[in-house]
Amino acid sequence: MPLKYPQMELAIRNTMPNLGVELVDIDDFTCCPDPIYFKARDKMKWLTIAARNLAVAEETGLDLITMCSGCISTLKEAQYLLAEDSALMDEVNKRLKKINREYKGKVEVKHAVVMIRDDLGMDTVKKSVKRSLEGINVGIHYGCHMLKPSQIMQVDDADYPSILDDFVAAIGATPIEHFEKLLCCGKGCMDDELPLEMTEAILSSIEESGADCMGLICPTCFSSFDLGQLMISRKKGKSFTIPVIYIFQLLGLAQGLTAEEVGLHTHRVKVDNVLDKIKKGG
Amino acid sequence: MAKEKIVVNFRFRDKLNEVPGGKHHNYCYQCSACVAACPAARFSKEFNPRIILLKALLGMEEELTGEDSLIWLCTNCYSCYERCPQDVRPIEVIIALKNMAVQKQTAPANLVKLSENIGNTGVSVMVTSSVDRKRKELGLPDLKKIPIEELKKII
Repeated sequence: MPLKYPQMELAIRNTMPNLGVELVDIDDFTCCPDPIYFKARDKMKWLTIAARNLAVAEETGLDLITMCSGCISTLKEAQYLLAEDSALMDEVNKRLKKINREYKGKVEVKHAVVMIRDDLGMDTVKKSVKRSLEGINVGIHYGCHMLKPSQIMQVDDADYPSILDDFVAAIGATPIEHFEKLLCCGKGCMDDELPLEMTEAILSSIEESGADCMGLICPTCFSSFDLGQLMISRKKGKSFTIPVIYIFQLLGLAQGLTAEEVGLHTHRVKVDNVLDKIKKGG
Repeated sequence: MAKEKIVVNFRFRDKLNEVPGGKHHNYCYQCSACVAACPAARFSKEFNPRIILLKALLGMEEELTGEDSLIWLCTNCYSCYERCPQDVRPIEVIIALKNMAVQKQTAPANLVKLSENIGNTGVSVMVTSSVDRKRKELGLPDLKKIPIEELKKII
């Protein structure tokens, strides 16, 4: 995320202090690593690297928050697997011993939006709003990895989630129902055609809903839909102009930050319609 | 007409049992709950997680871990894990099969490309001057040093 989608990091850094959250950057982290490609290559190495990151976080004595659905998926699943299988825990810690580290299973790991809901409350979000996004209709795309498997993620009902709807409502905007709200964006599928078909189905669903923009939480989904709109137009001849906005960028706009202060100027699909509507007061 | 003989390759199943996540394939009772939830099955005529589990139960090694395997069409969405009443964790069985394909060097070249950076640099995306420039333009702090030597000792 700091490498591919730094605008999302900017949105987090500029909005969290307004919620009273102090962010501390941890030294010695590596990629979580990703729950799709590296895990498919070697799950044991994937687990070991994740456990190392967890051990590093544990040493700080702080809670760990992530701003990415992929990161939280890897870290939570690693915690779950190591907690359910003590032999696996021993094997991983044997590896970590080589670098004088140990994962004890004590660190609390949460996605930023979950931390906001559970530790601060949506009222804190509401109170930080300086410019309500009233009148902005947001078609939410939940993405898969923050919610599923719910047995591990423990965030929400994976079939009827409300966390992002509640977040969007707290900043004054209106979450709009649409048919493919819970469909996977398809990014993890290693095929030329299928991911585009899935992305197109979701974009069509958002378009039909009459939403002003798409609101999402996952950076990988973001690339499916932002850059993805150009790909779909090139490969399938169907063109969309749906602004794709990370939920913390929406929060930033509601907190009175400029589009540049939340990095919206870096997006391929322009977000001007949303900004104009905010300026006009919905 | 004589019935076709079904041969189960238990040697392959034993190998699958040894890969993290592979062992749960034994719990599958072929109910298809995973299929109804699977987006890849909805959009593809070929992909079907129940059939993949059936092939795992029969030990069909080449079909599952050969170059033409359909396992790579899985979208990694975890819907099957969510639905499965048997704790098969179908996606994790598929990932175990992917690990085996990587060992056999039959995985797609793209997978190897997309995953090799982490072992070499500690991050999945190449740190280039354009990344540094973009961060600077946004006023973000410099990237922290990645402890790659430490990482290499454990993998």
